[in-house]
Amino acid sequence: MGTLEHRFDDNLITTKLDTVLTWARENSLWPLGFGLACCAIEMMAASASRYDIARFGSEVFRASPRQADLLIVAGTVTKKMAPVLRRLYDQMPEPKWVISMGACSNAGGPFPTYSVLQGVDKIVPVDVYVSGCPPRPEALLYGLMRLQDKIRRESTVLRRKQVIKLGATEPVPAGEDTA
Amino acid sequence: MNRVVRFLKSILLIDLIKGMRVTLRYAPQPAFTFQYPAERRPVAARFRGILRLQVEPETGAPTCIVCDQCAKVCPDDLIALGGHREPGQKIKILDYFDFNLSRCSFCGLCAEVCPTRPIKALIMSEDYELGSYTRDRQVLRIDEMYDGLPIENYVR
Repeated sequence: MGTLEHRFDDNLITTKLDTVLTWARENSLWPLGFGLACCAIEMMAASASRYDIARFGSEVFRASPRQADLLIVAGTVTKKMAPVLRRLYDQMPEPKWVISMGACSNAGGPFPTYSVLQGVDKIVPVDVYVSGCPPRPEALLYGLMRLQDKIRRESTVLRRKQVIKLGATEPVPAGEDTA
Repeated sequence: MNRVVRFLKSILLIDLIKGMRVTLRYAPQPAFTFQYPAERRPVAARFRGILRLQVEPETGAPTCIVCDQCAKVCPDDLIALGGHREPGQKIKILDYFDFNLSRCSFCGLCAEVCPTRPIKALIMSEDYELGSYTRDRQVLRIDEMYDGLPIENYVR
């Protein structure tokens, strides 16, 4: 840490506030319990004692979106469920992340029909896609580790490269503020 | 009399002790949590992981004969492959093999119909650690079909 490093006693560590905050964020991802189909069974298995998602700090499956950081979309999202999913996502406080778990929520899976949403990324921004049908609990833990990797590399203050201004249709670079 | 027995039961916490006896009978168990990233459970013999192309073990030559059966049998049309024939040769050479992982439900029909012997060109491997940051990365090209999906590092 630049000029401050090795200036203090041995039992004092200096670090960036940003690093500490990201470290805290990545190791306490509280998921919103959003199981929709068979993937939810694997999600429950991941949170049970055999695989124990608590080792990654995300054992607290919240029943309320206001207490959750992570939305694990586990299962087939039908078009009837899609507005509910979007509303729950909007109710989650920032910072928030989304893991799309399984073939159905990744791309619609084996249901290319009128009633199934073809990929949950059509309505919420997905951070990590976990493939499998359903993914093993280990695969979900792997996806969680990939998400932690992503959070570690991101800054606390999320810098968006492009933003869509209110009323506009085309995204503009985030730095060019005219309003 | 009945009321006295009930009173004594509640004072002496009889029901609680009965319940705790059942709990404690199961308590002295070794921990059976898998320390997943460090320790991995061997998969079952019939486990179907991600689809993978195989080469001849000795020569390293591709085994796929571009018969297109896997693409035809796939219920979700996830495989697209093609090849060309060298002039004067009977066998086809695989040019591209695009596999859309995002929809795959790992049914294994493609690996089942693969006719090449003794080395099957297409197998369901034991690899299940699949995760990507974008949806485009879930379409595997031919080079990733031989080695498997590489671990992706997030770049900002």
